[in-house]
Amino acid sequence: MTWSPSRDVIEVQRGPDPGGLGGAYRAFGETLRGLKTTFGRLVEGPVTLQYPEEKTPVYPRFRGRHRLHRFEDTGLEKCVGCSLCAAACPAECIRVVAAENTPEHQVSAGERYAAVYEINMTRCIFCGYCEMACPFDAITMGNDYELADYTRSDLIFTKEMLLADPVERTPLRREGE
Amino acid sequence: MTSPSQRFVTFEIDGREVTAPEGAMLVDAAKYGDVEIPVFCYEPKLGQPVGACRMCLVEIEGMPKLQTACSTAVKDGMVVVTTSDKVKSAQNAVVEFLLVNHPLDCPVCDKGGECPLQDISFGWGAGRSRFIEPKRHFRKPIELSPLVAIDRERCILCYRCVRFSQEIAEDYQLVFLERGDHTYVGTHDGHPYVGPFSGNITELCPVGALTSTTYRFRARPWDIENAGTVCTLCPSQCNVELTTRDDNRVLRVMARDNTDVDDGWLCDKGRYGFQLFHSPDRITQPLVRDAGELRPVSWERAMDEAVRGLDRAGERAAALVGGGATNEEGFLVQFLMRSVLGSPHVDSRPGAALDREHALALSRPDLSAAVADLDSASAVLVIGAELVDEAPILDLRVRKAGRRLGVPLVVATSRPSSLDPNAAAVVRYAPGAEEALLGALAAELSGGGESHPRQGRAGRASLHEAAEQLGMRRPSGDSERARLAGAREEELRTAAEALRGERPVVIWSERLTHGERGNEAVAALLALARALALNTGDGGGMIGIPRGANGRGLREVGCAPNMGPGLGAVDQEGLPATALPAALGRSIEALLLFQADPLRTHPDRSAWERAVDDAGFVLAFSDFRNETVERSADVVLPAEAYAEKEGTVTHPDGRLQRLRQAVGRPDGVRAQTEVLLELVSRLSGTRFEAPPAQLTHLVMDAVPFYRGLTLDRIGGRGLRWQETDAAGRLPQAPLPDRELARPPEPPEGLRLGTGPSLWASVETDHAASLRFLAPRQEAQLSPEDAERLGVAPGDEVEVAVNGTGVRARAALRSNVPAGSVFLIEGTREDNANALTDGGPRTVEVRKA
Repeated sequence: MTWSPSRDVIEVQRGPDPGGLGGAYRAFGETLRGLKTTFGRLVEGPVTLQYPEEKTPVYPRFRGRHRLHRFEDTGLEKCVGCSLCAAACPAECIRVVAAENTPEHQVSAGERYAAVYEINMTRCIFCGYCEMACPFDAITMGNDYELADYTRSDLIFTKEMLLADPVERTPLRREGE
Repeated sequence: MTSPSQRFVTFEIDGREVTAPEGAMLVDAAKYGDVEIPVFCYEPKLGQPVGACRMCLVEIEGMPKLQTACSTAVKDGMVVVTTSDKVKSAQNAVVEFLLVNHPLDCPVCDKGGECPLQDISFGWGAGRSRFIEPKRHFRKPIELSPLVAIDRERCILCYRCVRFSQEIAEDYQLVFLERGDHTYVGTHDGHPYVGPFSGNITELCPVGALTSTTYRFRARPWDIENAGTVCTLCPSQCNVELTTRDDNRVLRVMARDNTDVDDGWLCDKGRYGFQLFHSPDRITQPLVRDAGELRPVSWERAMDEAVRGLDRAGERAAALVGGGATNEEGFLVQFLMRSVLGSPHVDSRPGAALDREHALALSRPDLSAAVADLDSASAVLVIGAELVDEAPILDLRVRKAGRRLGVPLVVATSRPSSLDPNAAAVVRYAPGAEEALLGALAAELSGGGESHPRQGRAGRASLHEAAEQLGMRRPSGDSERARLAGAREEELRTAAEALRGERPVVIWSERLTHGERGNEAVAALLALARALALNTGDGGGMIGIPRGANGRGLREVGCAPNMGPGLGAVDQEGLPATALPAALGRSIEALLLFQADPLRTHPDRSAWERAVDDAGFVLAFSDFRNETVERSADVVLPAEAYAEKEGTVTHPDGRLQRLRQAVGRPDGVRAQTEVLLELVSRLSGTRFEAPPAQLTHLVMDAVPFYRGLTLDRIGGRGLRWQETDAAGRLPQAPLPDRELARPPEPPEGLRLGTGPSLWASVETDHAASLRFLAPRQEAQLSPEDAERLGVAPGDEVEVAVNGTGVRARAALRSNVPAGSVFLIEGTREDNANALTDGGPRTVEVRKA
């Protein structure tokens, strides 16, 4: 097919020529309109959070670092080391090695307890399946999201780390806020 | 041997036409049509179905009520429905009922994830329960035995464990106690359930009621991998599946069902002996003796010392190969000795050498029976072997043949056997008199003695003639041999009667060939084989139980002083193990112990003690610091456990089986084949390297009758070389037709019989869970002898011969024949080997 230039010619619509009152409005009016928003916000004060001194509050259902729980009355661990969380985990980041409770060394409420409970946070995708799989509500997703560290091995969270309360509490946002 | 051919019938299940073998139970027949019927109690290995769990209810056209598919045989034209509402509501109801008293503590339960009750509740249950009343409670968990934990709350009363105890192991220990919903499993007297096969019930249990203590809470099915291999702790060579976690630890051993080998059972030694692999006592780095002490050194240093020691000895070196070695390792050891060092002294048996002609005759394919032949045998004869101690799984197989398949069993042993109650005929003879007994039995079988070469003393013969004229019993030329064997003629006669048949199978222990007159005993055995016509037609055969787990394979790859690979002739015959003690320190300088512990396993312990002390250089491949190592080894190289090995082994029936590496070796342990190849390379100056598969290829090529066998053909189930084309390459050996030599006169006095015990082994010493089974030396006496000697049951006695004594606890057994005393071989302390020397022994028993 031969090329006909007429088909590619586009009619360009141009505005009025610069100059005059219209030109002055375009130069300053629009800019002032934008500056109105800017100065309007200025009086509201800064909204920047001074992280890490200040932290963003998270919603209660935010899925952050996992936590293991104890029974409040007896202090025994809720986890019995059943490994269902490990089975449910799509990232295969949980490792459980169970052991047997003895009367002298009663760790959990059942016959069995988790001797080793490790979560590899570098792998975890925070899907929350472990929480859903747990038959004893022993593991829940916490709210802490500050998980950065300098070495990978430090990111393997052990049972003691998961059982302990976080050093700093993450602020919570109220539902509907 | 062919089993009776099967007929097939056609029936309809869920609307499809299905063809299944006649007589199969509906549960099995349904599988031919890809229909699954849920079951708990049904297990074909346990014999007849009992229909206890009611899970398998199906609707059969023409029957008004639902039927149990596990106990209804399929018939031609049957119409079965497994998906109707009626069946479904029954299945839902059964699941609901079974869960009424089940605690549903799956998160804690060990079975969780591999539990038939979970699967069936999920697949066939209604998913809810109307039961709100309290469930029954038991104390839990409690030990049914130190090896098995029982949780009675979880039990669904399926009968499997009880049936195992009653019908398979036949120890009759487990029973149901109480009635109704109070029923529970226990031993009738409340004692722990301890038996050689108790661990099998943990594998049988369809819920988590019976769990093994060694696997308790160790892992979930998704944490583990299963690796199939072959257990080489005894000659039964059961197919096993090792459960491993993180590739470095074996957590449990499960049976890998192979009807041709083990029928899916395991003994407790095999099941719990795995703890040996991870024992803290295991040698995991090379040791060298330095100023009288074994000290850990680097591999380089140890290998330098080993090479130096062997090089210095040259043809004055000798090697002993232990039974746990694979064919490849055995082949390399004999190659190292014969071709590199030029020494003919290699042996893998604790006894005297087997004549090559006899070895060839014993290996004849027509004389050898497969394990599965026991099921269709016309009779089974067990000679000189206490199977439960020597090859435990064969004991179960013989029990199965005898009890469930109706095969008459003849037991001929000197020591009372645990198979006696199952036997159609029992022959007792004096310890060490196998030769005379076999001759007597052979003669009895070949025409009641007329053709017997040698009559007794003239007076006795004429007495028999007179007796015959008087219409009394027919004369027996065997009486002389029977007398020499210390056996009773009536017993021999009933035994011979029971054995006359088409397809008898003879199980004999190689121990009878270990003595001084071992070859005469083999000649008598072959005469018996001829008398039983084992060599003609497809009639039966023999299975010889070697002392070592791979005894047969090691002999066939050339670990014998007088036979090279493939039972071939050798230019120069070496010294057998029995002659080594006398030669060590004289004509033999260096000793290579390949997973061998002669002080514990070989007869004549005092001679060996002297010998290993005199040996100039001892190189040992060993996994533990056993006595021989501690006492004499100059260089110790760490040995591999069977879970770490690649290679092949040969079952006593000629089946080659494949060992596959399941776990990594501990740091510091190298593959033994690699180490042997390095020794060969450095000693010969030529570099040899071969990966495991190539090494197997090399061995298969070197043994004419293994030729053509590849790892692929051996596969996971093994392959008997007798059933391949290569079997024709076995050098032809006729059955000797010589007149049997006259057995020697039995010595006067109390005769000593020794035998191995399942638990007198390294596994028991080093596997923590088995340690409680380690036997104490026990002298079994007849009550008559005990009374004469003034020994009461439980007394400490000393059994002595020529001043050497062994302390033992006296045990009186009414079935021990008077005039014999029995001790256990291979115990850690008070080993009976101190008293044996290969010949018949008479001992003195006195109170210690």
